[in-house]
Amino acid sequence: MSSYAIECKNLTHYYGKKMVYEDLNFHVEEGSILGLLGKNGAGKTTTINILNGFLQPRSGECLIYGENTQHLTPQNKARIGFLIEGHIQYAFMNIHQIEKFYSGFYESWNPEPYWELMSKLKVTPKQKISTMSCGQRSQVALGLILAQDPDLLILDDFSMGLDPGYRRLFIDYLREYAKAKKKTIFTTSHIIQDMERLIDDVLIMDYNRVLAQQNVNDFMRSFKQFYLELEDPSISLKDEDFVVNIEKVHNKLEIYTYESEEFVKSFLEKNGIKYQAFQNVEMGLEDAFIGLTGKY
Amino acid sequence: MWKSVIYKEWLKVRWFAIVYALLGILVVGYLFLKVQHDTTFNQTNNYWYLILFKKLNFYRSLQFIPLAGGLLVAIAQYFPETVNKRIKLTFHLPVNENKILLTMMSFGTAILLAAYLVFTLLFTGIAAFYFPTDIIAPALVSLAPWFLAGFAGYYLLALIVLEPVWKYRFLYVLTAATIIPLYFENGPAAAYQPVNLSLAVLTILLSIALLFSGYRFRKGEM
Amino acid sequence: MVKISRYVLVFVAIIGFAIVLPKLYWIAFAQPIKKPFIQYSAVDHDFMIMRTGEDKGFTNTKGETFTREEYEAKLPFMYTRQLLMNQNLPDSLNGVEMDPHQISKYKSNFNLKPEDVNTPRPSLYPLFESQSGRATLEMPEDFFRINWRMEFIDAATNQINEEKSRMFSAVLYNRGFKFPATSINGIPTNLKSCDEGYLIVDSADQLFHVKMIKGKPFVRKVDLPEGLKFKTIQCVDDADKLYYAYLFSEDNHLYGLTQWDYLLERFPVDDVNPDLYEIRIWGNLLNYDVQVLGEGFTRSHIFDRDLNPVNEYAESWPVQSERKEGQIAAALFPAQLSMTDENSEYINFYCKASGSYYWIAVSLFLALVQFMIIRKRNEKPSNQILDLVIVCITGIYGFLAVNFFPNKFFK
Repeated sequence: MSSYAIECKNLTHYYGKKMVYEDLNFHVEEGSILGLLGKNGAGKTTTINILNGFLQPRSGECLIYGENTQHLTPQNKARIGFLIEGHIQYAFMNIHQIEKFYSGFYESWNPEPYWELMSKLKVTPKQKISTMSCGQRSQVALGLILAQDPDLLILDDFSMGLDPGYRRLFIDYLREYAKAKKKTIFTTSHIIQDMERLIDDVLIMDYNRVLAQQNVNDFMRSFKQFYLELEDPSISLKDEDFVVNIEKVHNKLEIYTYESEEFVKSFLEKNGIKYQAFQNVEMGLEDAFIGLTGKY
Repeated sequence: MWKSVIYKEWLKVRWFAIVYALLGILVVGYLFLKVQHDTTFNQTNNYWYLILFKKLNFYRSLQFIPLAGGLLVAIAQYFPETVNKRIKLTFHLPVNENKILLTMMSFGTAILLAAYLVFTLLFTGIAAFYFPTDIIAPALVSLAPWFLAGFAGYYLLALIVLEPVWKYRFLYVLTAATIIPLYFENGPAAAYQPVNLSLAVLTILLSIALLFSGYRFRKGEM
Repeated sequence: MVKISRYVLVFVAIIGFAIVLPKLYWIAFAQPIKKPFIQYSAVDHDFMIMRTGEDKGFTNTKGETFTREEYEAKLPFMYTRQLLMNQNLPDSLNGVEMDPHQISKYKSNFNLKPEDVNTPRPSLYPLFESQSGRATLEMPEDFFRINWRMEFIDAATNQINEEKSRMFSAVLYNRGFKFPATSINGIPTNLKSCDEGYLIVDSADQLFHVKMIKGKPFVRKVDLPEGLKFKTIQCVDDADKLYYAYLFSEDNHLYGLTQWDYLLERFPVDDVNPDLYEIRIWGNLLNYDVQVLGEGFTRSHIFDRDLNPVNEYAESWPVQSERKEGQIAAALFPAQLSMTDENSEYINFYCKASGSYYWIAVSLFLALVQFMIIRKRNEKPSNQILDLVIVCITGIYGFLAVNFFPNKFFK
């Protein structure tokens, strides 16, 4: 048995003739919280679907606790908590019915965290989940996962439809829970600020490839943005090796790179490129993400 | 575990099942109210004569009741699963996916069976008051394919609702449209005698149809 | 399990298509088949043929054509009223006086279709009072069945009339009736000239005549030749009172049971099979005409009133399966399935296999197309062999079925 909670090997998938990705490899170590970042259409949902066994990749495989996700045994499925995009749950049930329903499936069912979260919601005991707000539904879905007490949590876009307060509540609760109980989390979100508070590792995908997979702090340390204004706006630095991405408006340049300030400066001087107003710009994860993947 | 599955299915189906059962009972009641009326206005011996020799079908209004029930239970059970692809939750439960589908199907079958049993017992019970077995037995033989149609409709609609691709849903509907009429051919009382057993086998075979579209859903067909 | 569910669906779809596609085909392409209408002329001692459609007209077996008036004049027993109106009815024919009353009295019409035989039969019958002293028959208050005894059930109360049941059962028993009855044959309507009760076959294949006279049972056992069994017994209500019934034996012979001393008379004609053919028996003052109409043929056998053969005529025509549209259907469809059959009122799976071998070519072609589809989808043909076999055997039905329920499975 590997010590990875998730391990995807040579994953290749197409929708019809359109390639989603080819030979994608990544893994998630036990006890870590990994955020999968990517633009719309980069294959986040595809990956989640493959992980949950709702999609057969064209080739390659994903293993969860050493088991191919296409044929997870019930015992293994019990170890995985799954939050569907949009906090989908059986909306025709109320919070008591749904707790009663799920409790029948899991041996280690622990209703306490569920009821703790529910007590914070202003819902009536007989209120159907379908009549609840997005935020309330997210708490129900989260509470159920916590009660299930899984070893691995797969969260598909948990921030969707949540207002900032609920997002914060959700993240803080989750992180504390995961760290205290040494849980592994695999998550996506399109609100990257949320991720920053939550994740240990980041996996950034672009169309057809992985742009980065590493510890989020290491990533933030090594990935930098430099601002400068060129004297000659016609100069292009786009194809230089050290440049990961460049955003250019007239003579104003944002250079994204893994290289140091000294390296960039010496490069510019060595090539006789005149510039002014050089700045090392502080970035949040969102800035870094956009810097890495580009705005378009 | 199975209790939980049944609990969820019951939550989805209960009001539909109860309202449907009541409606069915009302139809059986209406049927014999009509018999009562007709035998009062038309002498009973003439009424018997019409049933025996003139193909009068006093239970005709029951014809589509079982099918309606099958479709209703299928909608109540499987439609909520497909809203927002909630069936993913079901498949994620720590139970074999086919087993859970079969359990859902068995539950629906049991609900229909219970409702049909109530109708049949009520029908036979009231009929025994008006008619001898020589009239009731052929009537039951004629009712049988209609009840089988209820099960077949249920199984086929489960297949159709769970299918993830609209194109194939349409093709399944076409197939169902060729199968369901087999249960509704016109004929004299007991005309289905030779074929009821074959139709029952066909219907039982159809019960596992939903595994196919369930599998297609799981493998991400779209 | 999932694979099984797919093959179940393919199987069921094949059944559905095998019923629906031929049905649609015939709705679109069926052509009416014009059958000749044949009658025997005692005037010409020849058969008169009326045809509809393109070659319509009135002819005889020699090919001569007639006007409608000439035609009717040659069939005085059929068009008696018309001839009377035209004052054309001959005074005598073959030495027999043509009295309109006599003509009417000896005229009988019997028609039996296979679906009248192959149909679910009730087990309850009304036993009329044969000598009520009233001009019209009245529907009795009770209905009888014969299981372990003869039971009368009162319709108004749905209760068994014990006294009447015991009385009739006792008489049946004493006459040697072996309960239960296997067939009960009569004319269960009060719209008939008089009641002659029922001809009932018991479980030992004995034939009994049972009726009710002034409330009392009348039971008479009919002597039958050893081993004679009947497919169907059809009671008649003819004005000449010659026969109680026409009886069709298991070996496809036709008998008449005379009202005179229960004599069983055999019509000298073979292959009268009421399961497959429509049977018409027309009697008149001079002759009996037994017509057997099957798919694609008609036979007419003429007897005098002592059942001596007089003449016979047969004609055949191409049946649907031999015609162009039938041959195309036979090439398209390996078999045609239907829930109904023109020869039966029972619902069943009736299967007609194709009479042609062209369907094999069509099936192989479709299998080839299927093979190309598989190749195009980059799927391993080895996983699809069963599908190809299905298409080979079931042709267009299987081709549609395996594509309606795609064979897409992952390892």
